[in-house]
Amino acid sequence: MTKQTFLHDKHVRLGAKMVDFAGWHMPVQYSSIIEEHKTVRENVGLFDVSHMGEVIVYGEDSLPFLNKLVPQDINKLIDRKAIYCQMTNKDGGIIDDLIIYKIEDNKYLIIVNASRIDEDLNWMVRNKRGFDVQIVNESHNYSMLAVQGPKAVELLKKMGEDELPPFFSIKRGELFNINLWISRTGYTGEDGVEILVRNEFSETLWDKILEAGAEFGIKPIGLGARDTLRLEAALHLYGNDLDEETTPIEAGLSWSVSKNKIDDYNGKSVIMNQIQNGVSKRLIGLKMIDRGIARHGYEIFYNDEKIGTVTSGGISPVRGDNIALAYIKNNPDITIGSELKIKIREKLYKAEVIKRPFVEKKNKCN
Amino acid sequence: MSEGMLCSKSHEYILEQDGTHYIGLTEYAVEQLGDIVFVELPEVGATFSKNESFATVESVKAASEIYMPVSGTIIEINEDIISAPELLNEDPLGKAWLVKIETTADEIEYKDLLDYSDYKEEVQ
Repeated sequence: MTKQTFLHDKHVRLGAKMVDFAGWHMPVQYSSIIEEHKTVRENVGLFDVSHMGEVIVYGEDSLPFLNKLVPQDINKLIDRKAIYCQMTNKDGGIIDDLIIYKIEDNKYLIIVNASRIDEDLNWMVRNKRGFDVQIVNESHNYSMLAVQGPKAVELLKKMGEDELPPFFSIKRGELFNINLWISRTGYTGEDGVEILVRNEFSETLWDKILEAGAEFGIKPIGLGARDTLRLEAALHLYGNDLDEETTPIEAGLSWSVSKNKIDDYNGKSVIMNQIQNGVSKRLIGLKMIDRGIARHGYEIFYNDEKIGTVTSGGISPVRGDNIALAYIKNNPDITIGSELKIKIREKLYKAEVIKRPFVEKKNKCN
Repeated sequence: MSEGMLCSKSHEYILEQDGTHYIGLTEYAVEQLGDIVFVELPEVGATFSKNESFATVESVKAASEIYMPVSGTIIEINEDIISAPELLNEDPLGKAWLVKIETTADEIEYKDLLDYSDYKEEVQ
């Protein structure tokens, strides 16, 4: 059974092209992916991301429990702050990437990927023994709307939200007399917020935001542009760039991993060993030199040897070229500026290793 | 320009005009693909059989193979859409044809092609 968000009828009425994504019937585009992409980079866009999962962890042992699940040091997380994490298995492989918010002592909100919610809950329950915690899946009660783009803050102000939380923080707020949670996070590389609202208010909120945003050029944005936006910002997509066979260090996420965390956590020995001794595969950013688009699954060659695979690739509407994230066998000869080849329909096309993110981030993230 | 146009189930068209056979993508095809950002066309002189893949069109989301509605030899490719793939979204039945072919296909090859008006009904 394909699930529908509470905004499903809105999307259909807006003429969206609908697709199945992670078990949900979601809008992939309303007008044009490129147009929607540019709207978010230049003005402001509204996304329905209600398919994302919300899990509450509470109880006396919430802190040690979460510390066991992720390489990040949750001790350092203060009230109403958020931290980007990966939940790792015993080998350091990534079960999911998450944002953990500390609501208050002994109460945390975790935002998880729609495609991974069952695995996440299973893993949490399996790791719960000995901890006095409750794990509650609240996903079916909440909708999530993302407002992203350089004009997002201005729009929120117009709607009466004068004091936005700082980057990677959350606050209780009220818009149009609706109680909600406003988080200064996103998946676009732009400034903006993600709003958690109870399902019954999501339609009203959606309409009101579109109405108030009209003067800022707001548009609804589908999953197609969400993907090109996150790729330009070099943000990982679970299932493409992250999986259970890949550790945070291999994924280029060392910046997010605590190097001196005292608590033991799943996969700690593997991860600490990789931090000290290096990795055998790693994530790189690429741009195409030859005319061609690298896509998920395409093979990468260096000196005639197959050294890796593209995990995400496509066009960059802002740069005007074609970019990709890929994993390669770690080889000290391959650095920024190195030339690799990508096999596209049986032919080899030149690509260059370049720095990530592919466009400048506007949200002071990492 | 749809007069005399024949369409395949995989959404390519063939159109004869003044003795020239144009092959292209239907409006339905480009609408389904969304923003087209890349086109790869064959070399002039290459020969393809009916239903053989002869070109690739890529949208933001994916790469799609394009198939020959009838067998033939490529006599000209549309260079304009290589430099401006978005033309395919704007005018697929007109300016944004893909290739011109020479064909000696017999009637059997045309059997499963639909008149443009029947095709339009089919995809509605």
